[in-house]
Amino acid sequence: MTCTLGEVKNRADFMIYWGGNPAECHPRHFTKYSLTQKGKFTPNGRKDRTMVLVDIRETPSAKAADVFLQIRPGKDFELIGILRALIKNQRVNEAMVAETGLPLSKLEELVAMMKAARFGVIFFGMGLSMTRGKHMNSAGVLMLAAEMNAFTKFVAMPMRGHGNVTGADVVMRYTTGYPFGVNLCRGYPRFNPGEFSTVDLLVRGDNDACLVLGADPGATMPQPAIDHLARIPTITLDPKVTHTSRLSRVHITTAATGISAPGTAYRMDEIPLPLRPALKSPYPTDEEVVRRIREAVARRPAWLPERNGEMVV
Amino acid sequence: MTLTIVKNATCTFCGCVCDDIELHADEIRIVETKRACSLGESWFKNHTAEHLYPDALIDGHPATVDDAVEAAADYLLNANMPLVYGMSNITCEAQREAVALAELIGGVVDSHTSL
Amino acid sequence: MGFVGLLGCVMLRITGGKVYDPANNINGTIQDVCMDNGRIVADVQGGRTINATGMVVFPGGVDIHTHVAGAALNFARAMTPENQRAAAKFMHTKTTRAGIGGPTPTTFATGYLYAGMGYTTVVEAAVPVLSAKHTHEELRDTPIVDKACCLLMANNEIVMDLLEKGETERAKDVVAWLIWAAKVYGVKAVNPGGVTAWKWGKDAKQVHEPVHGYNKVTPGKIIAELAKIVDELGLPHPMHLHCNNLGAPGNVATTLETMKVLEGNRAHMAHLQFHAYGGDDWHTFRSEATQIADYFNKHKNLTCDAGAVLFGNAVTITADGPWQHLLYQLTGRKWGNLDVENETGCGIVPYTYKGSNLVNAVQWAVGLELLLLIDDPWRVFLTTDHPNGACFWRYPEIIHLLMNADARKERVKKLPAKALSRIVLADLDRQYSLYEIAIITSAGPARALGLTQKGHLSVGADADIAIYNQNPDGEHMFRYPRYVIKAGEIVVEEGDIKNVRDGHEFIVKPQYDPKIEDFLKPVFQQQYTMSFENYPVELERVHGLQQVKIS
Repeated sequence: MTCTLGEVKNRADFMIYWGGNPAECHPRHFTKYSLTQKGKFTPNGRKDRTMVLVDIRETPSAKAADVFLQIRPGKDFELIGILRALIKNQRVNEAMVAETGLPLSKLEELVAMMKAARFGVIFFGMGLSMTRGKHMNSAGVLMLAAEMNAFTKFVAMPMRGHGNVTGADVVMRYTTGYPFGVNLCRGYPRFNPGEFSTVDLLVRGDNDACLVLGADPGATMPQPAIDHLARIPTITLDPKVTHTSRLSRVHITTAATGISAPGTAYRMDEIPLPLRPALKSPYPTDEEVVRRIREAVARRPAWLPERNGEMVV
Repeated sequence: MTLTIVKNATCTFCGCVCDDIELHADEIRIVETKRACSLGESWFKNHTAEHLYPDALIDGHPATVDDAVEAAADYLLNANMPLVYGMSNITCEAQREAVALAELIGGVVDSHTSL
Repeated sequence: MGFVGLLGCVMLRITGGKVYDPANNINGTIQDVCMDNGRIVADVQGGRTINATGMVVFPGGVDIHTHVAGAALNFARAMTPENQRAAAKFMHTKTTRAGIGGPTPTTFATGYLYAGMGYTTVVEAAVPVLSAKHTHEELRDTPIVDKACCLLMANNEIVMDLLEKGETERAKDVVAWLIWAAKVYGVKAVNPGGVTAWKWGKDAKQVHEPVHGYNKVTPGKIIAELAKIVDELGLPHPMHLHCNNLGAPGNVATTLETMKVLEGNRAHMAHLQFHAYGGDDWHTFRSEATQIADYFNKHKNLTCDAGAVLFGNAVTITADGPWQHLLYQLTGRKWGNLDVENETGCGIVPYTYKGSNLVNAVQWAVGLELLLLIDDPWRVFLTTDHPNGACFWRYPEIIHLLMNADARKERVKKLPAKALSRIVLADLDRQYSLYEIAIITSAGPARALGLTQKGHLSVGADADIAIYNQNPDGEHMFRYPRYVIKAGEIVVEEGDIKNVRDGHEFIVKPQYDPKIEDFLKPVFQQQYTMSFENYPVELERVHGLQQVKIS
């Protein structure tokens, strides 16, 4: 149960930011899409909205909030469960409530605010989706928002980080049926997060070559994964020579996305936007280089998957 | 010197993907980023049209893009389980090519989402 | 690779086959069909000859209403990895891309599945302007078939606000501008007013009551005005309408009321099965196909598609957000909802139609009843509202039931006893002929869409042809075409994709006053979150574009 950001701009009178610090990480989120923006049914902007921030520490985003709820680290899933019970007037275990670091009275106030909203939204950040509970937390927040629709209009939306990571999800879904971690080794798409996710694959040492696009795992991944990247032939495409380039057998410099490379990028709510480059790069685009590699592969004797009985067409 | 002005440019630094930026650029660099936030401004100004890096490197030595492309094709096709990873700071058009390549080499394709 | 269509000037002759070309009143005559350079021609000298003795020759199938590309479908793919895992797999080969079938096939698989069934043109029935760029990207990677899109318009708040103020002329310019901005072919109305009301958690159930948040705009007014606008703009395809109250017991009243509003204009009633129910609640749920068909038969301004249901797994995907919330509450299954600013929304709930369930049994019967009770096959077309009623690749099962009254009656006997008094299917003896099947799968929908080069085999028509081995088992016959020819080239031979080429996308450019942008831009900037200049789809993003002239 989600929506595009314009719905938030036009309608949301109540918002929760959970596990994120938009003031520093998505600086224009408040002003362009949500909190202070004036919309069709929120003509007074900030005055028409109430904002609650849930986080483990008081970040600069707290200054913008009407209510700041400081939750104990790693207790997000518990708090989601408690809220799901409270909205349905179910009894909750007070010891469990105490573990979250928040008093029951505050949570009851929160639930009252949620139910009083005309249009509520929960934005959840990586502080929720990348900490203890991970995707279970995301699923919990989405369930909470779904269940709130028995009382009023409510949606939830992830605050996605890196530029066009949303586009990667979108493209992989329509071409392979799955959003990430897609294994094509048998000639058709397979999906099993944890088995076919990059960090797991590299730490286990499963891959025997790697093409890195628009990322710098050499600077961000766990050391055993980086060690494996250095062991195998790694190929990196990037506008700069990065940490990963330095451990690669092949590096190709490419034009910078949206600055000197045209194309499309997706906003966190899956709205496609055209890129309008202002500079002319001396380097080819990622699109062009990947196409050239694909064409070079196609000129060689083909790898064709074995027909192992699972195949239909 | 006249500046190129690009209206309604899109910033891909964070997931907001704001598309109302006005960029002023000379031939080498972007000098003004109207309506961009501080993160967006440094993103735009951090990349120039200068030839600061070699076109390509093979085993750390400068190489042509043609040779690098051929070397990449050999490595990827000869691998049993190649991985195509990253995809967040590239365009959808490049992502689409990357999926097609992963299929052709019989590999795994993955993004930051799996982290 | 699916990237490069093979262009060629291939001469081809089909000889010895029984030709069914209803647009030319050809009913099973044995005659040659020739093609050259992608078009039907009177004769060819040389080239390949297909001996089609013992086979039947149809114009390629045309699906007038399906959901195969776009943000909503792609959202559904993300929601249902378990379906993908269970689905048919498509291997990477020298000619084809890898993919996955099931209720929400990947784009490449969609093209292969449609072509593999003899279908060569499909209409994606629900496209928001805001994400039209995305829909076109998916269609680019949907190979072989030709495509067209219908634009979601009946909950567009800029249009509704103009109707509230009585500014219908300006509304017409806005609609025309939006059609060109999105690069689409037709206009779709989904639960008029209801999706906008859903943005406040409400619905619009009464045709003549104001929509929540409006004083004058009713669903009936939106329907009447949009149908009129579409006719006045001269679009080849009439307004494509998904009525209010989809799926609800007793919605026959809403549907009849809606059809009355449409008198004097053309309209296409989408997935009519979902709108032909009687009863006061789920316990008294019954078929009202007879009542709907009686009215429909007398009103020639309308066409419809069946939206038939088959038992088994489906994924319900519709811009009808409030209905999906109800379905989620009824089933307790996964629910996805995506509201699109100022334009539309969509809801997604995986669903299983069970033969043992009374409501599902009635739904199954209603789809077939409509196809059998509507007397003019040129006005009722085969669809399942894929993937809502069933997957499109199950059409041959429906064809079999239409052609064989005994098979139908046997299946009815297995329905729950309580269902039998709620339906009339057991009393219907009509059996479709091959000629009529060619109408409801190709000639009829092509004509309703105004695609003059599709659905027939006259000289000059697109050489899209399906050749089937004649077989008393209609399901088997239509599931496995012997050959499928697209634009004059053999793309499928005995079930294998032989040749992959990219299809076209049809769009129209209706006339509008260019000054409408002066009105739109400030409204847009107030209500939307992207730049006005970035909103329209650039022409070069529509691949294989063919602009259809407006008469």
